[in-house]
Amino acid sequence: MAKKIGVYVCECGNNIADNVDIDRVIKALASLRDVTVVEKYRLLCSEDGKEFLKQSIKEHELTHLVVAACSPKQHEHTFMSVCLAAGLNPYLFQMANIREQVAWVTPDKEEATDKAIRQIAAAIARVAYQEALEKRDMDVSPDVLVIGGGIAGIRAAQVLASPDRRVYLVEKSSSLGGKVKGFDKLFTKMESGSALIENELRKVEEDKNVEVFTDSEVEQILGFFGNFEIKVVKKATNEERDFNVGAVVLATGFDLMDLKELPQYGYGKLDNVYTSLEFEEMNAPGGKLLLKNGKPPESVAIIHCVGREDKGYCSKVCCMYSLKFARVLKDKLPEVKVSELYSDLCVPGKAYQKFYEETKGLGVEFIRADKTNITQNGKGITVKYESKSGPKRDLAADMVILVPAMEPASDTNRFAEMFGISVDNEGFLAQEHQKLAPVASSVEGVFVVGCAQGPKNISESIVQSEAAAGKILSALVPGRKLELEVKTSEISEAFCTGCKTCISVCPYSAISFDDFRKIAVVNEALCHGCGVCAAACPSGAARVKNFAFTQIYQEVEALLK
Amino acid sequence: MKYNRNSISVLVIGAGVAGIQSSLLLANSGAKVYLVEKASYFGGNIIKWEEVFPNMECATCMIAPKQQEVLQNENIELLTLSEVEAVDGSVGDFAVKVKKKARYVNLDNCIGCNECFGPCPVEVDNEFEEGLSKRKAIYIPCAGALPNAPVIDTDNCLRFKGEDCQLCQGACAFEAIDYTQQDEELELNVGAIVVATGFKTFDLTQTPQYGYKKLNNVYSMVEVERICASNGPTEGQIILQNGEAPKSVAIIHCVGREEKGYCSSVCCMASIKQAHFLKNKIPGVKIAQLYSDLCVPGRIYQRFYEEVKESGVDFIRATVSEVTQQGTGVAIKYKTENGEENTLNVDMLILAPAIEPQSDSSKLAEILAIPQDEHGFFSEKEPDLDSVDTSREGIFIAGCAQSPKDVPDTVAEAEATVGRILSLSR
Repeated sequence: MAKKIGVYVCECGNNIADNVDIDRVIKALASLRDVTVVEKYRLLCSEDGKEFLKQSIKEHELTHLVVAACSPKQHEHTFMSVCLAAGLNPYLFQMANIREQVAWVTPDKEEATDKAIRQIAAAIARVAYQEALEKRDMDVSPDVLVIGGGIAGIRAAQVLASPDRRVYLVEKSSSLGGKVKGFDKLFTKMESGSALIENELRKVEEDKNVEVFTDSEVEQILGFFGNFEIKVVKKATNEERDFNVGAVVLATGFDLMDLKELPQYGYGKLDNVYTSLEFEEMNAPGGKLLLKNGKPPESVAIIHCVGREDKGYCSKVCCMYSLKFARVLKDKLPEVKVSELYSDLCVPGKAYQKFYEETKGLGVEFIRADKTNITQNGKGITVKYESKSGPKRDLAADMVILVPAMEPASDTNRFAEMFGISVDNEGFLAQEHQKLAPVASSVEGVFVVGCAQGPKNISESIVQSEAAAGKILSALVPGRKLELEVKTSEISEAFCTGCKTCISVCPYSAISFDDFRKIAVVNEALCHGCGVCAAACPSGAARVKNFAFTQIYQEVEALLK
Repeated sequence: MKYNRNSISVLVIGAGVAGIQSSLLLANSGAKVYLVEKASYFGGNIIKWEEVFPNMECATCMIAPKQQEVLQNENIELLTLSEVEAVDGSVGDFAVKVKKKARYVNLDNCIGCNECFGPCPVEVDNEFEEGLSKRKAIYIPCAGALPNAPVIDTDNCLRFKGEDCQLCQGACAFEAIDYTQQDEELELNVGAIVVATGFKTFDLTQTPQYGYKKLNNVYSMVEVERICASNGPTEGQIILQNGEAPKSVAIIHCVGREEKGYCSSVCCMASIKQAHFLKNKIPGVKIAQLYSDLCVPGRIYQRFYEEVKESGVDFIRATVSEVTQQGTGVAIKYKTENGEENTLNVDMLILAPAIEPQSDSSKLAEILAIPQDEHGFFSEKEPDLDSVDTSREGIFIAGCAQSPKDVPDTVAEAEATVGRILSLSR
């Protein structure tokens, strides 16, 4: 079928007309190949303008459309809607930006006119080779898999579960509740962590729409956003369960750094030197705040930032729970001397500094110490410390609580590999965008929340779970189909040599290898059309729809003619 | 709950990062969103920043695509120049009164060509630029502001002061300027409300020891953001009042912390970012940071601090006692932790102010009948468990309106309000 390209030049009031000789533009373009009509209009984005364009497309039975006007950021959307209304496939439309890129920035009218002609000619050359594309969608499962039964996972399950959305909550240990379950007191309100967890758990246990798997592991995951196939195995019985979900929330939590790597703190060698989690156990109901000799401590040193230098990051919550320990000690043993050895006090936000000031008011000693070394001294302990500016000093204590850096839970890497999501330098699950997508991972439909993606407190972990729920509830509406990217990439079977270069560069894991045909295959449900594969492909087999070499070459050639 | 997913409408108050993110997610779920913004433009504080830590991404480039999405989303009605005046009812059925002030510029006709500013005879300080440049009585606050349409400031426009000036109307080729526009009272019915009104910075004249507004070349961090901004008053040229680039800069952290009684969370990182920016833009500049405790929480921020420190920025743990003029620059008297007294002379002093709630938050708290904390931030229902809920069911809070926080935590809270709202609506 013969091509009939319509070209419409917008005067944009005087914005383009004042600086570009539009009549000369029209004359220059009229003779170009396949151009059926070239016309100008005062303001194409106005209601009259859109109507004029619509009627014109119909009247001239146009097969392709070029609009020369402002930035496509401003009105590409507008003119694509006009195409749809006129019965023209909107992907057979191209915009030439002769306002921001020409009229507003090229002061000489002759030069601006020449430039506008080139820009529009390039759009005409390109549009002739564009393909008609169709919007696509697919059925999705609204159900969600939540991995990790700590506070983050529990809250995610609560918010997501509903009569039309099932949640599978998988926990590797024998019970839900995570680390918080073991904390007798939480900062800043000094309420019980175990009571909090019990309360939250009840809501999950009473919800018929949540299915809990304890003592279980996720063994396999296949598929993509909207359609993941999951296999869960109950460890004790080897019982397998398969189900489909649309999205996954990873809430696998944290571990403390292994202090055996840091001999200067004496952990594991000296008596009465504990980690913060051990102290939580001693403080929990059933535990005792006693020294090895059965006596209560008279002096306790709490060492902040243990392992921070080695890890290269601040674990965010340690200052606050160290203050909490001081309070617990002062509460249970009013005569005890508590010293906090810290380098920088990190008490961010509206509520924490007050907690610090109140704790200081209880007589807790705060000592600036950038380096500490712990040694046995008779029956007691000597803490040697120094700050950057101060001299070396010694502090005697009966008990030392070490506050180690937080690190991702030991199986984080396994999940990262299983899901194909990125891990950052520190081993935490990476976010899609540090600023604007804090709970999305590099794989669409897989969300990372809580301490699995970096140290954070309970409230921040819960917020992240609710955030992941927000993103899932917004995208996976029961009964609604998921719209897919139109300009995806495709790999020509004839040209693909099976070198797998594209597979290694695809940031969305959207390309897999067909072992039978020995070629790479694009999963259009996962592809975002970024074009990295097309750039990397050595045989020219990969291309992005409407960003094919022919289209780009034609455009560049016309621009440089 | 009384409302269901198919018919839910949500009012989002404040169109900064948090409000934008809440609105987009809600709208994409099928909800109708009224996004109310009191300014004539939207985007919030972040569009004033040139680059954001720690990746030094251009802030406007980062947020502009989201703004475009808002403008193009058919489920979102963006109401600029608008303020919530009354809220009645309860979750699922709030009756909201919104006052939408006249822009005197018709958004359907205006193409944002800026032709109307030129002839306007009035010049006043541009608030968006912290008074560092002038604007006309009809104006767009900065290049790139969205919606890309000016507003008439009736406090300064000659016509609204009784004179017969029509110069802007005469310059407009699109008949977009309409002096007869009236303020409107809108009545909305919504199922839930998100409060995302953001923050302002501490008034630095309350800490006179640092010389702000008294001494030359003492700036607030926000002013420096505008001086660094390529669309700002100096088009990104970092210059002192005499037009020269500073050879030495000091940044004082935690200004107003003692007065406010809390740590504003993001100032250490923002100070380090400004040092990074200045170091790259002004070859050979000497930069010192005067701080008490460095707060770089989380897995990413410390690395950024270390990089900037290694690039030659001095970090001095100190208490500043006094700042005085010394030539065109200032002399900063400080005491280190072991009691040593020192003086630092610099060409430029930057003060990092505390973050505080917007000045109208008490009024809004009253309208919404939600509590504020002792500092004036909106109170969450339960600090640990329900940080984005308020004590009034169906009203949620996100971002710095609740407590000082960084962009990712703000975005997470905005997304969390969506989680809470959409899980209620079943």
